[in-house]
Amino acid sequence: MRPAFVFSLFFCLLLALDGALLMDGQNRRRVQDATLAQLEVATRSLGLTDLAVATEARYTRHPAVSDAMAPFMDHPGAIEHFPTGAFWRPPSR
Amino acid sequence: MAQSNLEKQLNILDYALSSLWRHRLKSLSVLLVFAAVIFLLASFQMVTQALSDKAKQVLTHTPEITLQKMSAGRQEAIPLAYRDKLAGIFGIRRVVPRIWGYYFDEVRLANSTVMGMAVDEMPEGNRLDAALAKGAMPGPDEQGRVVVGHSITKALDLAGRTTFSLFRPDLSLKPFEVSGEFSRDTDILTNDLIVMNLADARDLFSIPAGLVTDLCVYVANPKEIDTIAKKISETLPSVRVLTRPQIQKTYQVVFGWRSGFGSICLLSALAAFVILAWDKASGLSPEERREIAILKVLGWETSDILAVRFWESVIVSGLACLVGMTAAYIHVVYCAAALFRPVLMGWSVLRPDLHLLPRMAVGDILLIFAFTVIPYLAATVIPAWRSATVPADSALGG
Repeated sequence: MRPAFVFSLFFCLLLALDGALLMDGQNRRRVQDATLAQLEVATRSLGLTDLAVATEARYTRHPAVSDAMAPFMDHPGAIEHFPTGAFWRPPSR
Repeated sequence: MAQSNLEKQLNILDYALSSLWRHRLKSLSVLLVFAAVIFLLASFQMVTQALSDKAKQVLTHTPEITLQKMSAGRQEAIPLAYRDKLAGIFGIRRVVPRIWGYYFDEVRLANSTVMGMAVDEMPEGNRLDAALAKGAMPGPDEQGRVVVGHSITKALDLAGRTTFSLFRPDLSLKPFEVSGEFSRDTDILTNDLIVMNLADARDLFSIPAGLVTDLCVYVANPKEIDTIAKKISETLPSVRVLTRPQIQKTYQVVFGWRSGFGSICLLSALAAFVILAWDKASGLSPEERREIAILKVLGWETSDILAVRFWESVIVSGLACLVGMTAAYIHVVYCAAALFRPVLMGWSVLRPDLHLLPRMAVGDILLIFAFTVIPYLAATVIPAWRSATVPADSALGG
């Protein structure tokens, strides 16, 4: 069996895996879209402004309603020290 | 003609694959390092894209205008009397006061978000029960009853009981009874929430009567949000005015390559490419030069040798791209970005179950492809061309 054929088989196998992941992703998307109505009600009824992903610091829990100076307000010369501060960039307004 | 060309390219591909197999340890090392770099870049891209996408979907229903009072650059309580000043602004439909803050549990080191408001005054407030997994929202006159997020239930170990207490600032205890729990499907928004009446929140945080933390303003015509926000700023200069478009914009810019972690991912990838390009650009090894010289002596043309190198690069970079991106997708979707969670959530004790689902647009795939595969092709083919143009006798002699 020539090497190009073996390689093509391997490549097709990887593509088939990606195809299966894509189909599973579409199923997951349908399930997630079904919960959108609940999320909409929660956002409207509570007036929510942010995603509850990082709860360690107020400026990463609610970046949309915090200002860029919030990480440095603890005391004069305070440095930003929460790990999530490395992932979440301060919003520019 | 086309048939013979195809056959020639297939033969060259066979030779390139055999060549890669002969140096399998080196080829596999390059492939794995390359795939790891692509995995890192693609994972970051997918996580940020999935979070931004989710925010875009759910935050379209956030209050049209949110007002916070600022003093000495800090947020402080806003007087309820400001509502009277807003009454004169035409176009405002409703102003709902709200008290929200953070309750830090020193035993569990958990930081929860407490929200107090008259839910029935909010838009669709009477439908909030639809977002609950069990129980019901407390009525306006039911004091001491709360609805909690899933992580609160877990942290306070409320599985077998419905009562718990929180400390007021003077360390006296305020008892609460759980009247409902938010659905797990709303975890991304409500995971750390404790929702209660305005009076309970005022009591818990000892906020004096007549003060709240912010005012939610709803306008009659959403097209007038900016105009009304401007009028509010003029009427109440000490108030920070946050509009719905600003809040939505936040999540489109808050994740990016310029964040500390994003920069590390990008710089790591760049450093890996620079090392790779430097290695390749510094020339081929004597063994590789000898191989090229022998091929030329056997009658191969420069273009054939370039084609072999091109195919080798395409195979390595294409495979690395496919493996790296597939691994990144599995990491983000099936492992909930486990490698990024220590940075994404940090020291958070209350953590939602992330169900991230990136939309794999063709543009995103092409972006990662363009930043990884094309530089690799350039870094490998150009030195090969330089070497292939060297006369065979001098290469064999050297």
